[in-house]
Parts: sequence; C-alpha cells; structure tokens
Amino acid sequence: MSDYIRRLPVYLLLDCSGSMAGEPIEAVKQGIKALVSELKGDPQALETACLSVITFDSSARQITPLTELMLFREPQLAAGGATALGAALQVLAECIKAEVRTSTATQKGDWKPLVFILSDGAPTDDLQAGLDALKGVTAGNIIACAAGANANTATLKKITNNVLMMNNLTAGDMAQFFAWVSSSVKASSKSIDAKPGDAVQLPPPPQGFVIVP
Amino acid sequence: MNSGDICLATLESGETIEYVFDANAPRGGMKHTFFTPDRKYAVQFFNNPRDAANPQMQDRIRTIVSRYNPTVSEQNGGALGNTEKTADYFRAKFCWPVAIIKSPEFGIVCPTYPQNFFFGEGASAVLNLSGKDKKSNWFTGRNRKYISNGELGDFRMMLRIAIGLARSVRRLHQAGLAHSDLSCNNVLVDPRTGSSVVIDIDSLVVPNKYAPEVCGTRGYIAPEVLATMERDMADPSRCLPCVQTDLHALPVLIYEYLFLRHPLIGPKIYSADSAEKDDFLAMGPMATFIENPNDNSNRPPDLGVTITSLSKGLEDLFIRAFVDGLHHPSERPSAMEWESELLRAWDKLQPCSNPACSKRWFILRDENDPVCPFCGTRMRGSVAKLSLKSEMRGRKGVFRDKGELFIYDNMPLFDWHVFSNIHNDEKASAEMRAYICHRNDMWLLVNNGAEGMLSPDGRLVPKGSAIELKNGCLFRMSGRENGLAAQITIT
Repeated sequence: MSDYIRRLPVYLLLDCSGSMAGEPIEAVKQGIKALVSELKGDPQALETACLSVITFDSSARQITPLTELMLFREPQLAAGGATALGAALQVLAECIKAEVRTSTATQKGDWKPLVFILSDGAPTDDLQAGLDALKGVTAGNIIACAAGANANTATLKKITNNVLMMNNLTAGDMAQFFAWVSSSVKASSKSIDAKPGDAVQLPPPPQGFVIVP
Repeated sequence: MNSGDICLATLESGETIEYVFDANAPRGGMKHTFFTPDRKYAVQFFNNPRDAANPQMQDRIRTIVSRYNPTVSEQNGGALGNTEKTADYFRAKFCWPVAIIKSPEFGIVCPTYPQNFFFGEGASAVLNLSGKDKKSNWFTGRNRKYISNGELGDFRMMLRIAIGLARSVRRLHQAGLAHSDLSCNNVLVDPRTGSSVVIDIDSLVVPNKYAPEVCGTRGYIAPEVLATMERDMADPSRCLPCVQTDLHALPVLIYEYLFLRHPLIGPKIYSADSAEKDDFLAMGPMATFIENPNDNSNRPPDLGVTITSLSKGLEDLFIRAFVDGLHHPSERPSAMEWESELLRAWDKLQPCSNPACSKRWFILRDENDPVCPFCGTRMRGSVAKLSLKSEMRGRKGVFRDKGELFIYDNMPLFDWHVFSNIHNDEKASAEMRAYICHRNDMWLLVNNGAEGMLSPDGRLVPKGSAIELKNGCLFRMSGRENGLAAQITIT
C-alpha cells in the first residue's frame, strides 16, 4: 500500500569557520554520526525524519540535501575561513522552499522543519539579508546553539528566541548537544500531533547548557 | 553527577535501591529513566519537578501500586479478587510499578521488560537494533521492511498479540482504570511469540482520583480528545482520556497488528493550509476510516486485504469502532467484546497451504470458499467445522450454540472447548485437553486429558484414544456437568 507519511525535515546549520578547526570539527563529525545512529533506532523518527546539512565558513552551501535517514551519508566537513551565517540562512530559506513539500489541495505536505544552528563566532557577513530571506518561509522550531566563549548570543537571538549556550567546545559537550538534538527530533516526531500551528515542545537542554534569556 | 555514578534512592517502604545515573537517560514526555545496576528494575523520575511534587498525582500512583494492582494478589495488597494465578498472568502482560521512591525525589520503580521484548543481534540487516525495545511500530509501519524475517512472526501471532492486548485493556477497564495513553510506544510486542506487554502504567486514570495530565500520542488520541484539547482543563466540554478513549486506541492498535497499516491514515486531504491543520482534522474532528463503507474519500486505491476478510464478528466491531463510534464514543465496542470476538476468530484460523505465503495463517470466513485472502491460495482438501453446543439446563436434547471451530492438523483444544462454564481467559488452565489429527483425509480428535469424553455412540474415550470425526457426527467433549457437545460438519 502506498504510504501517506509526512516527513519531518531537519536542517543542521553548522559553523565550519577556521576557529572550529581541530577538536571541535571532529566532535561535530562524531556528533552527526551519533545523531543519525540514534534516530535510526527510533521507529517514529526513522519513519518521518529527514536530514539536511548546511555548512558555512566564508560562504555557505548545502552539502547534504534533505535525505531520509536510511540513505543519509555523513558529509565531509573541513574547517577554515570566516562565519557567513547570513548566507547560511539564505541557503536555508532556499532549501526549505525547494525541498519541503507544501500542503495543497492535492498533496500531503511535510511537517514544519526543525532547524538547529551551531555557531562558535559572530557572523562576518550580512545577517539581515539572511533574516529577511527566512521571513519568507515557515520553520517550526529554530534552535541556535552558541558554542564556546566567542559565540555571539545577541546575533543568534535575532534569528530565534531559542538560544542555548555551550560553554566549551569539548567533544563531551558536543556529544551532549547532538544527543539533545536527537531527543528533540524524537520528541517532535512523536508529538507532531496536537495543536495545529503550535511549536513543538522540546526536551530540556543538556546539563551545563544555558538557555539564553 | 556523572554518567555511570551509582546513586541511592529510598523507597516509601524505607528500603533503598541503587541506580546508575545517566546524563542521557531515556526521556519520555513525562519521565526519564535510570536502571538498577543489574538492570532488573527501571527507576523513573519526573522531568518536571512540579509534577513530582503534586500530591494528587502521588496519591494516584500510590493507589495504582497497591489497591488497583492486578499484578499482585489481593492477599498481598493487590487488586480486589486477584489470585496468585491471575497476578502471575498479568505480571507478564503489564510493566506495573512495584514501588514508590520518596527520596531524592518522588519517583517510581518498575520491573524492566522481559528479555524477549528487546531486539537481539541480527534483528535487522541494515539497522543496529540490538538492545532496543520492540515498540509496536517496528512491525506495523513502513520500518517493517528493515526487520529480519525471523522477527516478524505471522498473521496468527499478530492475532495473538491483539488478543493479549485486548485482554490486558479489559482487565484495566474491569477495575475502572483507563490507560489513557495506549499507543505503539506503550505497547511492546514480540511477534515471534505473539506476546505483548503494556508499559507506562503510571498515567492511568483511576476512579475518584485526579486525572493525569496526558493527552496521548499522535495516531492513538481519540478524535474528541484532539478536537477539544485547546479548551481549558476546567471546561466540561473538553474531552479527557478515559475508558472510552482507550476504546479508540485499542482498535487502532488491533487494526495495525492485523493489517500493518493505520486505520485513519489515507489519501484524503483535509486542509490545504498546513500539514499541522490537515493532520489535526485527519486525526480529530474530521477523521475518516480508510475502509468506511459509506465514504470512500479516504480509501487508498491499493488497500489490499480488508476487514471483510476477517470474521464477520470482527468486521462488525471495526465498523462500530471506526464508523459508528469514531465520533460517538459511546458506540465503541468494549475491550471485553474485542477480546471475545478475537478469540472467536482465533478458533477460525486455518493454515495457508501455500508454503510461500508470508502470513501463513488466515481467518476462514466462509467454508464454502476456503481461500487465503493474503495470497489467494485455495485450501486443499476438506474443511472441517466443529460446532460446540451446551445442553440447556433441565431440557435434555435442547442445545445452545457455544461457538464454532475450523479444525486443522495438530490443533490443540483446551478446557473452554470442553466445558461451557470455562472461558478462555486468565483464569483458565493452559493444559491441552485434546488435539486434532488429520491423516489421509481422516479427521481424529485425540483425548489428552478431557475427563469424561464420550464417543458418538456414548462410549467413554480415555486419554490417549481418539474419536473419528465423520461428517454430521455428534458427541460429548465431556459427559460431566457443564460438558459441551460437539458436532462436526465436513465441507
């Protein structure tokens, strides 16, 4: 029988600027691996979640198009360059427009996308252009994580109200962040019931992470 | 605290229990779970400290652990009328909380699920599922294709899962309890053995106690609960989880076990505005059964086998649940009706004669057209029907129908096939009292301990001896009090 399952699009926007070189970028790679493996172990997430990776350094690009978990291959990540967060948001907006199925009279649309942004610095490009582009699309929940001491929570706050702060860029903290992303995706894939239009409730952030008010 | 640290919790009884702290503890909607070092028990705390401190919730859970506990005999402080035997029976069917933790904070202790509800090595060729619990939707959704054949069971085992679940829910409802969040996540299944276990018992709705704040899981929430969930908790028009909402979730699960698809998810578009609105209407106020005989707007074009291939009794129950009762909760069949109708269907199972049939068994609806609905193979040989009858008290020779069985080689028969006052439930003995043997197109009924079995000419059939079942013959499964008579029809 044909299936009528909606997809839950999940976009990861990852900072690959020069300051992420070394341990941080390796930890991100491990984090993605763990995230995919964890989600594949959850039947609802496996059925609904699709994953895309957008990276940004001096420019931004989608390195993994929205892909169902079983077909997802870990992307090659390398750190270097500046922090084009504004461009990344523009890429995100374009990808959502192109990839996320909208509801029409003849098509079952996808769920609102879930967006996770990880950045360890302040944007070096035109953030406003990115913010403007984002206004044109619907994303369910955008969560930004400010990683390390140099991350700029004030600019992230312009993107979303949900800003977390991770104090260190250690492998352990990164692993916790991705574990939390996976429980958020799992929670969303289960609770995309309820109230139409409501943002889904995400689990509390991991220990040691601060919610930026 | 760090992951791996051993912590100590004190129970309300004063005893202590150790558990292993885990920073990434599995987290549900309400609680997170740690395990004792031997992993025999799960130690659960509430995510929200406000929930944990709520005295009404604590009171409710205390009642669940004691007075309403069907896994403990009445003698030992469990549910009313519960014997050791029935307590044992339901201990395997529920993961019922066994103790309450008072410090470091309010929490509960539950046994961990039996081992057969966890995947082992080799459960999937493409996924690493070893150690994961067997949530229902691994087997009923589109993830099924990733699961190894050895894990999938067959149609008979899926029917057995449905019977077990209906019985568990009937037991809850019999005591006035409602589960309130029956779903693919809260019912673990093992299709290899046809067993099920109901978990997350702490969100039960208990009579005269403050109701828990759960609304349920997508796909299993009753339409009226979803339709009114925006209203205030105090608004009397808001529908909250209760026995009647369980009676929506139960047939959704049963339907999924039997057909491996969801009864409400079809092609119909309810709203072009957004996925969320469409889904709200599809599961809530506008929900339409994909097999609704009067409305095919949500009917998938490639539906395959439908409820019309089950027994007539089950077909009728599904119509009552998903057509008459979908938006009229009081019309929904009770768990007891599901249990008895599924059991009747169980007695009509026939093995498919096609060795390549993936379902291996089917419910024979019409003995004049004995075809497996799943693969289309016509049965070889004769169809033999055993009609059970009980003699009306004080009216010798006047019989009342007590059910029909389609027999097959090696079919076991139990006390409820022998005595009219014994039902197939948790109280009945699982001893096989007789079995069917089919050789050279001859049907035999072999006595394996049914006392007082009488042949068609009235002679005692001792254990180990058999009756040849010839078309039309009438005999006594037992000549004792309440013994059933049986008549055979061969088509």
